[in-house]
Amino acid sequence: MAAAHGETGTRGEDIPPGKPMSLEQTVMDKGAQMLQSLKPVKQMSQHVCSFALYSHEMTRQIEIHHYVARINQDFCQCAVYDTDDSTGRLIGVEYIVSDGIFETLPPEEQKLWHSHAYEIKSGLWVHPRVPEMVVKPELENLAKTYGKFWCTWQLDRGDRLPLGPPALMMSPQPVNLGMVKPGLIQKRDDKYNISSEALKTARAEIAEPEWINPQADYWKQHGKGFAIDVEPTEMKKRAPFS
Amino acid sequence: MEGKNISTHPDVPGEPKRTGTAMVETATATIQGFGPVNKIHQHLCASNEVVVIPYDCHIGRFHFYGHDMSRQVEAHHYCGHQNEEFRQCLIYDSPDAGARLIGLEYIVTENLFLTLPDAEKPLWHSHEFEVKGGFLFMPGVPGPVQRADLEKVAKTYGKTIHFWQVDKGDSLPLGVPQVMMALTREGQLYENLAHGVEKRFGVSFEKERENRAYMTGPAHGIHPLANAGGKGLKTVLRETDCMQASGRCCS
Repeated sequence: MAAAHGETGTRGEDIPPGKPMSLEQTVMDKGAQMLQSLKPVKQMSQHVCSFALYSHEMTRQIEIHHYVARINQDFCQCAVYDTDDSTGRLIGVEYIVSDGIFETLPPEEQKLWHSHAYEIKSGLWVHPRVPEMVVKPELENLAKTYGKFWCTWQLDRGDRLPLGPPALMMSPQPVNLGMVKPGLIQKRDDKYNISSEALKTARAEIAEPEWINPQADYWKQHGKGFAIDVEPTEMKKRAPFS
Repeated sequence: MEGKNISTHPDVPGEPKRTGTAMVETATATIQGFGPVNKIHQHLCASNEVVVIPYDCHIGRFHFYGHDMSRQVEAHHYCGHQNEEFRQCLIYDSPDAGARLIGLEYIVTENLFLTLPDAEKPLWHSHEFEVKGGFLFMPGVPGPVQRADLEKVAKTYGKTIHFWQVDKGDSLPLGVPQVMMALTREGQLYENLAHGVEKRFGVSFEKERENRAYMTGPAHGIHPLANAGGKGLKTVLRETDCMQASGRCCS
């Protein structure tokens, strides 16, 4: 059933399945694109490539591509894809908050978030094709942030369509289950002709956060992940249906 | 809280962007390719769930929560096609630059929907009613052009997940994801929500209804398992070992 664990799903032509785009639809889409203002999506100004782990099954690790829109100095919202070309499948959403904002969250909420410091300092988090010098200020900022990432399409287990409830994702960490498989890193590095190891050295001077909230990366302290179940329930209705 | 207009909600907390940050973003936006995002081509506005285009299309519509029909949200979808039968959409709470990314939706043809396992089908909703009812529309696109696309959308099914409950007044995306549902019959949508959208976008749902009377839904009729089989659906967080099988669905 599933593709080999720890590897990105097969990039077959038929995921998702379906007929190729008709000329008619293509023309229609282009027309709409010209007529409509697409302001919210135009706010995405950064592409980030990194890795994430399923919180309920941490041996499953994936390469991810974030398209980041910064709302203000303390908050970003990201559309997440499995690759950076135009066939990229939308696999989820991540929100990124500053440490200041994170500390205002209730502890029960904090459990759903992960830290970014290690991911950035280790060179796993990259801005493809952008010189390090240019992104350095951003990396210094992001190293102190926390993220909340829901994955809605589990391609790595072979799903040809987005099935099941969303999965909570965690970030790479420098301990046992949080370590990203070298093969996965190598594959990514080869694609962009970069070296995560070299980036790690280059980023040595990026300051570690003084403190990472222990509620984040919950599995590290507690050995537990989280799963979402979808359950039938009574629908609360509005008149005249109630 | 009936039909609360979400544009009255609080801003996202945080300091304004610093100049240095903005400069980095200008640089990255110029240098990097944005493959999947450039594809957004449609903006669909459903009075509940609006489809966003990757994003070449903006669709406006409305969604309600899978467990609570009394909570309804205006949703702006920005959609892109992966192929003729599959669209993926980013969902925002408004069509403005400062809009909050509140969820996503996948839209499939009836053919693809029928291949889904039965346990999966309840998470998907039909589009026939809201398309034919005029509640789902493409802001800025002339009627005949819209209808050429929407007559296809009327036959599709969607799976919508929201991550940010802006209608509750959440200034941050708190809690667990929510499975959202779409309008399936007369009387579900709050009138004030509907009127608000009609006014802001200069559309008339009733007029569109007449224009769309010719449209038909899925060839095999709306599947009985779709739309949560007429029941409610809620999402529950479960603490688990880090080495478990995936979340259960509808068990």
